[in-house]
Amino acid sequence: MLSPDLTVKIAGVVLANPVMPASGCFGYGEEYAPFFDLRRLGAIVVKGTTAEPCAGNPPPRLAETPGGMLNAIGLQNPGAVAAREKISALWQSSVPVIVNVSGHSAAQYRDVIELLDDLAAVAAYEINISCPNVKAGGMAFGTDPAVVAGLVRELRGATKKPLIIKLSPNVTDITAIARAAEEGGADALSLINTLLGMAIDIERRRPVLANLTGGLSGPAIKPVALRMVWQVTSAVEIPVIGMGGISGARDALEFLMAGASAVAIGAANFTNPLVCPETVEGISDYLAEHGFASVKEIVGLAKKEWS
Amino acid sequence: MLKLHKLKIIKQELVAPGYQRLTLAGGIAALAGQFVQVRVSETCDPFLRRPISVHHCTEDRLVLLYRTVGRGTALLAAKKAGETLDLLGPLGSSFPLTDRPSAVVVAGGIGAAPLYCLLQALKQAGKQVSFFYGARNQAELLLRDEYRALVANYSEATDDGSAGTRAVVTQLATPAFASLDATVYACGPSPMLREVARLADYYGRSCFVSLEAQLACGVGACLGCVVPVKGQEQYRRVCVDGPVFAAGEVFFC
Repeated sequence: MLSPDLTVKIAGVVLANPVMPASGCFGYGEEYAPFFDLRRLGAIVVKGTTAEPCAGNPPPRLAETPGGMLNAIGLQNPGAVAAREKISALWQSSVPVIVNVSGHSAAQYRDVIELLDDLAAVAAYEINISCPNVKAGGMAFGTDPAVVAGLVRELRGATKKPLIIKLSPNVTDITAIARAAEEGGADALSLINTLLGMAIDIERRRPVLANLTGGLSGPAIKPVALRMVWQVTSAVEIPVIGMGGISGARDALEFLMAGASAVAIGAANFTNPLVCPETVEGISDYLAEHGFASVKEIVGLAKKEWS
Repeated sequence: MLKLHKLKIIKQELVAPGYQRLTLAGGIAALAGQFVQVRVSETCDPFLRRPISVHHCTEDRLVLLYRTVGRGTALLAAKKAGETLDLLGPLGSSFPLTDRPSAVVVAGGIGAAPLYCLLQALKQAGKQVSFFYGARNQAELLLRDEYRALVANYSEATDDGSAGTRAVVTQLATPAFASLDATVYACGPSPMLREVARLADYYGRSCFVSLEAQLACGVGACLGCVVPVKGQEQYRRVCVDGPVFAAGEVFFC
Protein backbone atom coordinates (compact mmCIF):
# COMPACT_ATOMS: atom_id res chain seq x y z
CA MET A 1 0.00 0.00 0.00
CA LEU A 2 1.20 3.50 -0.82
CA SER A 3 1.97 5.70 2.14
CA PRO A 4 -0.57 8.54 2.49
CA ASP A 5 0.09 11.91 0.90
CA LEU A 6 0.91 14.28 3.76
CA THR A 7 1.52 17.41 1.71
CA VAL A 8 -0.55 20.50 2.35
CA LYS A 9 -0.52 23.98 0.84
CA ILE A 10 -0.76 27.01 3.11
CA ALA A 11 -0.79 30.48 1.63
CA GLY A 12 0.80 29.16 -1.55
CA VAL A 13 3.62 27.39 0.31
CA VAL A 14 3.77 23.61 -0.13
CA LEU A 15 4.61 21.76 3.09
CA ALA A 16 5.80 18.14 3.03
CA ASN A 17 3.52 17.47 6.00
CA PRO A 18 1.09 19.50 8.11
CA VAL A 19 3.19 19.64 11.31
CA MET A 20 5.38 22.54 12.47
CA PRO A 21 6.73 23.74 15.81
CA ALA A 22 4.95 26.83 17.15
CA SER A 23 6.80 30.13 17.40
CA GLY A 24 8.65 30.69 20.66
CA CYS A 25 8.88 26.99 21.45
CA PHE A 26 11.63 26.04 19.03
CA GLY A 27 14.02 29.01 18.98
CA TYR A 28 15.57 29.21 15.51
CA GLY A 29 15.72 25.43 15.30
CA GLU A 30 19.29 25.02 16.58
CA GLU A 31 18.30 23.69 20.02
CA TYR A 32 16.30 20.78 18.60
CA ALA A 33 18.58 19.88 15.68
CA PRO A 34 20.56 17.45 17.92
CA PHE A 35 17.40 15.41 18.54
CA PHE A 36 16.08 14.77 15.04
CA ASP A 37 16.50 15.68 11.39
CA LEU A 38 14.63 18.97 11.00
CA ARG A 39 13.70 17.94 7.47
CA ARG A 40 11.02 15.79 9.04
CA LEU A 41 9.06 18.98 9.82
CA GLY A 42 6.46 20.48 7.48
CA ALA A 43 7.76 23.95 8.28
CA ILE A 44 9.71 25.72 11.00
CA VAL A 45 8.18 28.75 12.70
CA VAL A 46 10.95 30.70 14.36
CA LYS A 47 10.93 32.79 17.53
CA GLY A 48 9.04 36.08 17.51
CA THR A 49 11.48 38.51 15.89
CA THR A 50 11.49 42.26 16.44
CA ALA A 51 13.31 44.93 14.44
CA GLU A 52 15.71 45.77 17.30
CA PRO A 53 17.21 43.23 19.72
CA CYS A 54 14.90 42.68 22.68
CA ALA A 55 16.12 41.60 26.15
CA GLY A 56 12.70 40.35 27.26
CA ASN A 57 11.04 40.45 30.65
CA PRO A 58 12.85 40.05 33.99
CA PRO A 59 12.58 36.64 35.69
CA PRO A 60 10.67 34.76 36.96
CA ARG A 61 9.20 34.13 33.54
CA LEU A 62 7.65 30.71 34.08
CA ALA A 63 5.04 29.07 36.25
CA GLU A 64 3.88 25.49 35.91
CA THR A 65 0.11 24.99 36.02
CA PRO A 66 -2.12 21.90 35.94
CA GLY A 67 -1.64 20.41 32.48
CA GLY A 68 0.32 23.37 31.24
CA MET A 69 2.42 26.40 32.00
CA LEU A 70 2.40 30.18 32.08
CA ASN A 71 5.15 32.12 30.35
CA ALA A 72 6.03 35.78 30.20
CA ILE A 73 9.21 35.78 28.12
CA GLY A 74 8.51 39.19 26.65
CA LEU A 75 9.76 38.55 23.11
CA GLN A 76 13.44 38.10 23.98
CA ASN A 77 15.16 37.81 20.59
CA PRO A 78 18.37 38.96 18.90
CA GLY A 79 16.60 41.36 16.50
CA ALA A 80 15.95 41.04 12.79
CA VAL A 81 19.53 41.72 11.64
CA ALA A 82 21.05 38.99 13.83
CA ALA A 83 18.12 36.70 13.03
CA ARG A 84 18.98 36.81 9.31
CA GLU A 85 21.95 34.53 9.87
CA LYS A 86 19.98 32.07 11.96
CA ILE A 87 17.16 31.98 9.42
CA SER A 88 19.61 31.45 6.56
CA ALA A 89 21.25 28.60 8.47
CA LEU A 90 17.85 26.97 8.87
CA TRP A 91 17.25 27.30 5.15
CA GLN A 92 20.00 24.69 4.68
CA SER A 93 17.50 22.17 6.02
CA SER A 94 15.30 22.93 2.96
CA VAL A 95 12.22 23.10 5.21
CA PRO A 96 10.10 26.22 4.65
CA VAL A 97 10.88 28.82 7.30
CA ILE A 98 8.04 30.96 8.62
CA VAL A 99 9.23 34.05 10.49
CA ASN A 100 7.12 35.25 13.38
CA VAL A 101 7.10 39.05 13.18
CA SER A 102 6.56 41.00 16.40
CA GLY A 103 6.52 44.63 17.34
CA HIS A 104 5.00 47.40 19.38
CA SER A 105 3.76 49.52 16.47
CA ALA A 106 2.76 49.08 12.83
CA ALA A 107 6.04 50.71 11.82
CA GLN A 108 8.04 48.13 13.81
CA TYR A 109 6.26 45.22 12.08
CA ARG A 110 7.08 46.86 8.73
CA ASP A 111 10.72 47.29 9.78
CA VAL A 112 11.10 43.57 10.51
CA ILE A 113 9.67 42.68 7.10
CA GLU A 114 11.94 45.20 5.36
CA LEU A 115 15.01 43.80 7.11
CA LEU A 116 14.19 40.21 6.12
CA ASP A 117 12.26 40.42 2.86
CA ASP A 118 15.21 39.81 0.52
CA LEU A 119 16.00 36.48 2.20
CA ALA A 120 14.99 33.57 -0.03
CA ALA A 121 14.94 31.51 3.17
CA VAL A 122 11.80 33.28 4.39
CA ALA A 123 8.83 31.37 2.97
CA ALA A 124 6.17 33.37 4.81
CA TYR A 125 5.58 35.72 7.73
CA GLU A 126 3.48 34.96 10.74
CA ILE A 127 2.32 38.31 12.08
CA ASN A 128 2.12 38.15 15.86
CA ILE A 129 -0.77 40.43 16.80
CA SER A 130 -1.47 38.36 19.86
CA CYS A 131 1.48 38.29 22.25
CA PRO A 132 0.05 38.82 25.74
CA ASN A 133 3.42 39.63 27.32
CA VAL A 134 4.41 42.98 25.86
CA LYS A 135 3.07 46.23 27.17
CA ALA A 136 2.18 47.95 23.90
CA GLY A 137 1.54 46.25 20.57
CA GLY A 138 1.21 42.50 20.46
CA MET A 139 -2.18 41.57 21.79
CA ALA A 140 -3.31 45.19 21.76
CA PHE A 141 -3.28 44.95 17.96
CA GLY A 142 -5.18 41.72 17.88
CA THR A 143 -8.31 42.61 19.78
CA ASP A 144 -9.93 45.28 17.58
CA PRO A 145 -11.20 44.18 14.12
CA ALA A 146 -10.67 47.59 12.53
CA VAL A 147 -7.08 47.81 13.79
CA VAL A 148 -6.38 44.26 12.59
CA ALA A 149 -7.73 44.96 9.10
CA GLY A 150 -5.73 48.18 8.89
CA LEU A 151 -2.47 46.57 10.04
CA VAL A 152 -2.80 43.63 7.66
CA ARG A 153 -3.58 45.99 4.77
CA GLU A 154 -0.50 48.05 5.57
CA LEU A 155 1.77 45.00 5.81
CA ARG A 156 0.20 43.56 2.64
CA GLY A 157 1.74 46.53 0.86
CA ALA A 158 5.16 45.83 2.38
CA THR A 159 5.82 42.36 0.96
CA LYS A 160 4.83 39.92 -1.73
CA LYS A 161 5.43 36.99 0.63
CA PRO A 162 2.47 35.27 2.26
CA LEU A 163 1.11 36.77 5.48
CA ILE A 164 -0.19 34.46 8.18
CA ILE A 165 -1.96 36.38 10.94
CA LYS A 166 -1.64 34.85 14.42
CA LEU A 167 -4.78 35.44 16.46
CA SER A 168 -5.29 35.96 20.16
CA PRO A 169 -7.88 33.91 22.03
CA ASN A 170 -8.28 36.77 24.50
CA VAL A 171 -11.24 38.30 22.65
CA THR A 172 -15.00 38.01 22.87
CA ASP A 173 -15.49 36.92 19.25
CA ILE A 174 -12.45 35.52 17.49
CA THR A 175 -14.38 35.13 14.21
CA ALA A 176 -14.75 38.91 13.95
CA ILE A 177 -10.97 39.30 14.21
CA ALA A 178 -10.45 36.45 11.74
CA ARG A 179 -12.76 38.03 9.17
CA ALA A 180 -11.03 41.39 9.62
CA ALA A 181 -7.65 39.79 8.93
CA GLU A 182 -9.04 38.08 5.84
CA GLU A 183 -10.52 41.35 4.56
CA GLY A 184 -7.20 43.08 5.13
CA GLY A 185 -5.53 40.60 2.78
CA ALA A 186 -4.21 37.81 4.99
CA ASP A 187 -3.22 34.62 3.15
CA ALA A 188 -3.78 32.39 6.18
CA LEU A 189 -4.46 32.50 9.90
CA SER A 190 -2.82 30.75 12.83
CA LEU A 191 -4.53 30.24 16.17
CA ILE A 192 -4.49 30.29 19.08
CA ASN A 193 -1.78 32.22 20.85
CA THR A 194 -1.66 31.75 24.63
CA LEU A 195 -4.50 32.56 27.02
CA LEU A 196 -3.85 35.35 29.49
CA GLY A 197 -3.43 34.03 33.03
CA MET A 198 -1.58 34.42 36.32
CA ALA A 199 -0.39 32.54 39.40
CA ILE A 200 0.25 33.56 43.01
CA ASP A 201 2.91 32.13 45.32
CA ILE A 202 1.07 31.80 48.65
CA GLU A 203 4.31 31.44 50.67
CA ARG A 204 5.79 34.66 49.30
CA ARG A 205 2.26 36.13 49.05
CA ARG A 206 2.90 37.69 45.66
CA PRO A 207 2.42 36.92 41.96
CA VAL A 208 4.83 34.27 40.62
CA LEU A 209 5.60 36.05 37.37
CA ALA A 210 7.61 39.28 37.44
CA ASN A 211 5.36 40.42 34.59
CA LEU A 212 2.30 39.73 36.78
CA THR A 213 0.43 37.99 33.94
CA GLY A 214 1.59 35.43 31.41
CA GLY A 215 0.36 33.28 28.55
CA LEU A 216 -1.14 29.90 29.37
CA SER A 217 -0.20 27.02 27.07
CA GLY A 218 -0.13 23.23 27.16
CA PRO A 219 -2.75 20.47 27.10
CA ALA A 220 -5.01 22.47 29.44
CA ILE A 221 -5.91 24.92 26.66
CA LYS A 222 -6.60 22.39 23.90
CA PRO A 223 -10.42 22.38 24.12
CA VAL A 224 -10.51 26.18 23.90
CA ALA A 225 -8.16 26.18 20.92
CA LEU A 226 -10.09 23.45 19.14
CA ARG A 227 -13.39 25.29 19.59
CA MET A 228 -11.87 28.48 18.16
CA VAL A 229 -10.36 26.65 15.17
CA TRP A 230 -13.78 25.15 14.45
CA GLN A 231 -15.43 28.58 14.64
CA VAL A 232 -12.81 30.41 12.58
CA THR A 233 -12.63 27.81 9.81
CA SER A 234 -16.40 28.21 9.48
CA ALA A 235 -16.09 31.97 9.25
CA VAL A 236 -13.27 32.46 6.70
CA GLU A 237 -12.16 30.97 3.37
CA ILE A 238 -8.39 31.25 3.94
CA PRO A 239 -6.53 28.27 5.48
CA VAL A 240 -5.94 28.00 9.21
CA ILE A 241 -2.95 26.62 11.10
CA GLY A 242 -4.36 25.19 14.33
CA MET A 243 -2.48 25.15 17.61
CA GLY A 244 -3.00 25.17 21.35
CA GLY A 245 -2.14 22.25 23.59
CA ILE A 246 -1.32 19.72 20.87
CA SER A 247 0.78 16.93 22.40
CA GLY A 248 0.68 14.25 19.74
CA ALA A 249 -1.00 12.83 16.65
CA ARG A 250 -4.39 12.28 18.27
CA ASP A 251 -4.62 15.96 19.23
CA ALA A 252 -3.35 17.03 15.80
CA LEU A 253 -5.99 14.89 14.08
CA GLU A 254 -8.70 16.62 16.12
CA PHE A 255 -7.52 20.03 14.87
CA LEU A 256 -7.36 18.82 11.26
CA MET A 257 -10.86 17.36 11.50
CA ALA A 258 -12.06 20.64 13.05
CA GLY A 259 -10.94 22.41 9.88
CA ALA A 260 -7.27 23.31 10.33
CA SER A 261 -5.16 22.73 7.21
CA ALA A 262 -2.01 22.29 9.29
CA VAL A 263 -1.04 22.25 12.95
CA ALA A 264 1.66 23.75 15.14
CA ILE A 265 3.02 22.22 18.34
CA GLY A 266 4.24 24.44 21.13
CA ALA A 267 4.81 23.64 24.78
CA ALA A 268 4.77 19.86 24.17
CA ASN A 269 8.26 20.21 22.63
CA PHE A 270 9.50 20.98 26.15
CA THR A 271 8.23 17.69 27.52
CA ASN A 272 9.04 15.61 24.47
CA PRO A 273 11.65 16.97 22.04
CA LEU A 274 10.53 14.38 19.49
CA VAL A 275 6.84 15.33 19.59
CA CYS A 276 6.85 16.95 16.13
CA PRO A 277 8.28 14.02 14.12
CA GLU A 278 6.26 11.56 16.21
CA THR A 279 3.10 13.51 15.35
CA VAL A 280 3.92 13.36 11.63
CA GLU A 281 4.30 9.60 11.88
CA GLY A 282 1.13 9.23 13.94
CA ILE A 283 -0.92 11.18 11.41
CA SER A 284 0.49 9.07 8.58
CA ASP A 285 -0.32 5.84 10.45
CA TYR A 286 -3.87 6.98 11.16
CA LEU A 287 -4.48 7.85 7.52
CA ALA A 288 -3.08 4.53 6.35
CA GLU A 289 -5.07 2.53 8.89
CA HIS A 290 -8.32 4.27 7.98
CA GLY A 291 -7.84 4.17 4.22
CA PHE A 292 -7.26 7.85 3.52
CA ALA A 293 -4.99 8.61 0.56
CA SER A 294 -4.25 12.17 1.62
CA VAL A 295 -4.27 14.26 4.78
CA LYS A 296 -6.36 16.81 2.87
CA GLU A 297 -9.26 14.35 3.01
CA ILE A 298 -9.62 14.74 6.75
CA VAL A 299 -9.41 18.55 6.93
CA GLY A 300 -12.79 19.67 8.27
CA LEU A 301 -14.11 16.11 8.20
CA ALA A 302 -15.80 16.44 11.59
CA LYS A 303 -17.80 19.37 10.24
CA LYS A 304 -19.11 17.28 7.37
CA GLU A 305 -20.10 14.56 9.81
CA TRP A 306 -21.78 17.13 12.02
CA SER A 307 -23.87 18.93 9.40
CA MET B 1 26.12 13.80 23.38
CA LEU B 2 22.82 15.31 24.44
CA LYS B 3 19.97 12.91 23.97
CA LEU B 4 16.86 11.24 25.28
CA HIS B 5 17.55 8.24 27.48
CA LYS B 6 15.37 5.53 28.92
CA LEU B 7 17.33 4.16 31.86
CA LYS B 8 16.40 1.36 34.21
CA ILE B 9 16.23 2.14 37.91
CA ILE B 10 18.62 -0.05 39.92
CA LYS B 11 18.10 1.47 43.33
CA GLN B 12 15.91 4.11 44.99
CA GLU B 13 17.16 4.87 48.52
CA LEU B 14 15.92 7.20 51.22
CA VAL B 15 19.24 8.64 52.47
CA ALA B 16 17.60 11.02 54.99
CA PRO B 17 14.02 12.07 55.62
CA GLY B 18 12.95 13.87 52.43
CA TYR B 19 16.10 13.04 50.49
CA GLN B 20 16.50 10.29 47.89
CA ARG B 21 19.38 8.71 46.01
CA LEU B 22 18.41 7.19 42.69
CA THR B 23 20.80 4.86 40.88
CA LEU B 24 20.19 4.21 37.17
CA ALA B 25 21.73 1.70 34.78
CA GLY B 26 23.66 3.31 31.97
CA GLY B 27 26.20 6.10 31.68
CA ILE B 28 25.39 9.38 29.99
CA ALA B 29 28.91 10.85 30.02
CA ALA B 30 27.90 13.84 32.14
CA LEU B 31 30.48 16.34 33.38
CA ALA B 32 30.54 17.74 36.92
CA GLY B 33 27.83 20.38 37.25
CA GLN B 34 25.59 19.15 34.44
CA PHE B 35 21.98 18.08 34.94
CA VAL B 36 19.25 15.93 33.44
CA GLN B 37 15.59 16.70 32.75
CA VAL B 38 13.51 13.88 34.18
CA ARG B 39 10.01 13.04 33.09
CA VAL B 40 8.20 12.22 36.32
CA SER B 41 4.76 11.44 34.89
CA GLU B 42 3.40 9.65 31.84
CA THR B 43 0.44 12.03 31.85
CA CYS B 44 0.46 15.80 31.28
CA ASP B 45 0.32 16.58 35.02
CA PRO B 46 2.85 17.60 36.15
CA PHE B 47 3.43 18.94 32.67
CA LEU B 48 7.13 19.83 32.74
CA ARG B 49 10.21 17.69 33.24
CA ARG B 50 12.11 18.11 36.50
CA PRO B 51 15.73 19.30 36.36
CA ILE B 52 17.96 17.19 38.64
CA SER B 53 21.71 17.63 38.92
CA VAL B 54 24.01 14.71 38.22
CA HIS B 55 25.42 13.50 41.54
CA HIS B 56 27.68 10.80 40.23
CA CYS B 57 28.23 9.33 36.79
CA THR B 58 30.31 6.38 35.60
CA GLU B 59 30.48 4.44 32.37
CA ASP B 60 27.48 2.35 33.35
CA ARG B 61 25.80 4.20 36.20
CA LEU B 62 24.02 7.50 36.70
CA VAL B 63 23.24 8.58 40.27
CA LEU B 64 20.88 11.42 41.20
CA LEU B 65 20.63 12.83 44.72
CA TYR B 66 17.55 14.97 45.24
CA ARG B 67 15.19 16.49 47.76
CA THR B 68 11.51 15.69 47.66
CA VAL B 69 10.09 19.20 47.51
CA GLY B 70 6.78 18.93 45.68
CA ARG B 71 4.50 16.72 43.65
CA GLY B 72 6.98 16.16 40.83
CA THR B 73 9.83 14.95 43.01
CA ALA B 74 7.35 12.93 45.12
CA LEU B 75 6.34 11.07 41.95
CA LEU B 76 10.01 10.51 41.19
CA ALA B 77 10.62 9.23 44.72
CA ALA B 78 7.76 6.74 44.29
CA LYS B 79 9.45 5.07 41.34
CA LYS B 80 10.92 1.69 42.16
CA ALA B 81 13.84 -0.49 41.09
CA GLY B 82 13.07 -2.16 37.78
CA GLU B 83 11.05 0.74 36.41
CA THR B 84 12.36 2.82 33.52
CA LEU B 85 13.05 6.54 33.72
CA ASP B 86 12.77 8.87 30.73
CA LEU B 87 15.43 11.56 30.92
CA LEU B 88 17.08 14.15 28.74
CA GLY B 89 20.74 14.95 29.10
CA PRO B 90 23.44 15.64 29.96
CA LEU B 91 22.46 19.33 29.87
CA GLY B 92 24.12 22.63 30.68
CA SER B 93 27.60 23.87 31.48
CA SER B 94 30.06 22.18 33.82
CA PHE B 95 32.52 23.27 36.54
CA PRO B 96 35.83 24.13 34.86
CA LEU B 97 39.13 23.00 36.39
CA THR B 98 41.78 25.70 36.60
CA ASP B 99 45.57 25.77 37.03
CA ARG B 100 45.28 26.70 40.76
CA PRO B 101 46.75 24.02 43.02
CA SER B 102 43.87 24.18 45.53
CA ALA B 103 40.12 24.28 45.50
CA VAL B 104 37.64 25.58 48.05
CA VAL B 105 34.24 23.95 47.58
CA VAL B 106 31.20 25.26 49.44
CA ALA B 107 27.94 23.32 49.63
CA GLY B 108 24.63 24.45 51.10
CA GLY B 109 22.00 21.78 51.72
CA ILE B 110 21.02 19.76 48.66
CA GLY B 111 23.44 21.99 46.71
CA ALA B 112 25.97 19.35 47.70
CA ALA B 113 24.47 16.98 45.12
CA PRO B 114 26.32 18.14 41.96
CA LEU B 115 29.50 18.90 43.94
CA TYR B 116 30.16 15.19 44.49
CA CYS B 117 31.06 14.86 40.80
CA LEU B 118 33.24 17.94 41.10
CA LEU B 119 35.10 16.64 44.17
CA GLN B 120 35.88 13.45 42.26
CA ALA B 121 37.20 15.42 39.30
CA LEU B 122 39.30 17.67 41.57
CA LYS B 123 40.74 14.65 43.35
CA GLN B 124 41.62 12.99 40.08
CA ALA B 125 43.32 16.19 38.95
CA GLY B 126 45.45 16.12 42.12
CA LYS B 127 44.04 19.31 43.64
CA GLN B 128 44.25 20.07 47.35
CA VAL B 129 40.55 20.31 48.20
CA SER B 130 38.86 21.97 51.19
CA PHE B 131 35.18 21.14 51.35
CA PHE B 132 32.76 23.15 53.49
CA TYR B 133 29.41 21.48 53.93
CA GLY B 134 26.54 23.48 55.42
CA ALA B 135 23.00 22.39 56.26
CA ARG B 136 20.15 23.20 58.63
CA ASN B 137 20.96 20.21 60.84
CA GLN B 138 22.86 16.93 61.03
CA ALA B 139 20.14 14.92 59.26
CA GLU B 140 20.43 17.15 56.19
CA LEU B 141 24.19 16.64 55.88
CA LEU B 142 23.78 13.83 53.37
CA LEU B 143 26.26 11.02 52.67
CA ARG B 144 28.85 12.63 54.97
CA ASP B 145 31.32 9.76 54.87
CA GLU B 146 31.29 9.64 51.09
CA TYR B 147 32.04 13.34 50.80
CA ARG B 148 34.66 13.18 53.56
CA ALA B 149 36.50 10.38 51.76
CA LEU B 150 37.06 12.55 48.67
CA VAL B 151 38.77 15.55 50.23
CA ALA B 152 41.84 16.58 52.23
CA ASN B 153 40.00 19.03 54.47
CA TYR B 154 36.39 18.45 55.43
CA SER B 155 34.32 20.85 57.58
CA GLU B 156 30.68 20.94 58.55
CA ALA B 157 28.42 23.80 59.62
CA THR B 158 24.84 23.51 60.80
CA ASP B 159 22.29 26.15 61.73
CA ASP B 160 21.43 24.34 64.98
CA GLY B 161 24.88 23.03 65.92
CA SER B 162 23.74 19.39 65.72
CA ALA B 163 26.87 18.62 63.70
CA GLY B 164 30.11 20.48 63.04
CA THR B 165 30.25 24.16 63.88
CA ARG B 166 27.14 26.15 64.64
CA ALA B 167 27.61 28.78 61.95
CA VAL B 168 26.71 29.66 58.41
CA VAL B 169 28.99 27.73 56.11
CA THR B 170 30.52 30.83 54.53
CA GLN B 171 31.81 32.00 57.94
CA LEU B 172 33.50 28.66 58.36
CA ALA B 173 35.05 28.88 54.90
CA THR B 174 36.33 32.47 55.09
CA PRO B 175 39.86 31.62 56.38
CA ALA B 176 40.33 29.23 53.44
CA PHE B 177 39.40 31.96 50.97
CA ALA B 178 42.03 34.16 52.59
CA SER B 179 44.88 31.67 52.88
CA LEU B 180 44.70 29.29 49.91
CA ASP B 181 45.71 29.88 46.31
CA ALA B 182 42.45 28.31 45.34
CA THR B 183 39.62 28.32 42.84
CA VAL B 184 36.25 28.53 44.56
CA TYR B 185 33.22 26.42 43.64
CA ALA B 186 29.78 26.59 45.22
CA CYS B 187 26.23 25.33 44.98
CA GLY B 188 23.44 26.13 47.42
CA PRO B 189 20.81 28.73 48.28
CA SER B 190 21.12 32.17 46.66
CA PRO B 191 22.08 34.08 49.86
CA MET B 192 24.96 31.61 50.36
CA LEU B 193 26.06 31.97 46.73
CA ARG B 194 26.01 35.76 46.98
CA GLU B 195 28.23 35.62 50.07
CA VAL B 196 30.61 33.11 48.45
CA ALA B 197 30.87 35.34 45.40
CA ARG B 198 31.51 38.39 47.58
CA LEU B 199 34.27 36.65 49.55
CA ALA B 200 35.90 35.25 46.41
CA ASP B 201 35.89 38.66 44.85
CA TYR B 202 37.34 40.25 48.00
CA TYR B 203 40.19 37.75 48.20
CA GLY B 204 40.75 37.72 44.44
CA ARG B 205 39.82 34.08 43.86
CA SER B 206 38.14 32.93 40.66
CA CYS B 207 34.77 31.51 41.55
CA PHE B 208 32.19 29.30 39.85
CA VAL B 209 28.65 28.84 41.12
CA SER B 210 25.83 26.55 40.08
CA LEU B 211 22.40 28.18 39.92
CA GLU B 212 18.90 26.82 40.14
CA ALA B 213 15.86 28.07 38.21
CA GLN B 214 12.42 27.03 37.13
CA LEU B 215 12.98 25.40 33.73
CA ALA B 216 10.66 24.42 30.93
CA CYS B 217 12.58 23.03 27.93
CA GLY B 218 16.05 22.62 29.47
CA VAL B 219 17.71 22.95 26.06
CA GLY B 220 17.77 26.71 25.52
CA ALA B 221 14.70 27.14 23.34
CA CYS B 222 12.01 28.59 25.59
CA LEU B 223 14.04 31.37 27.28
CA GLY B 224 12.10 30.82 30.49
CA CYS B 225 14.97 30.27 32.96
CA VAL B 226 17.08 33.38 32.49
CA VAL B 227 19.22 35.31 34.96
CA PRO B 228 20.32 38.92 34.45
CA VAL B 229 23.88 39.59 33.26
CA LYS B 230 25.90 42.04 35.34
CA GLY B 231 26.43 45.40 33.72
CA GLN B 232 24.29 44.75 30.66
CA GLU B 233 20.62 44.76 29.81
CA GLN B 234 20.75 41.12 28.87
CA TYR B 235 19.89 37.71 30.19
CA ARG B 236 21.60 34.32 30.17
CA ARG B 237 19.80 30.99 30.11
CA VAL B 238 20.44 28.89 33.21
CA CYS B 239 19.82 25.68 31.23
CA VAL B 240 22.47 26.07 28.52
CA ASP B 241 24.66 29.07 29.43
CA GLY B 242 24.59 27.68 33.01
CA PRO B 243 23.80 26.19 35.43
CA VAL B 244 27.49 26.81 36.21
CA PHE B 245 28.46 30.47 35.80
CA ALA B 246 31.53 32.47 36.67
CA ALA B 247 30.36 34.26 39.81
CA GLY B 248 30.98 37.73 38.40
CA GLU B 249 28.97 37.10 35.27
CA VAL B 250 25.38 37.09 36.48
CA PHE B 251 23.11 38.18 39.30
CA PHE B 252 21.68 35.48 41.53
CA CYS B 253 17.92 35.78 41.78
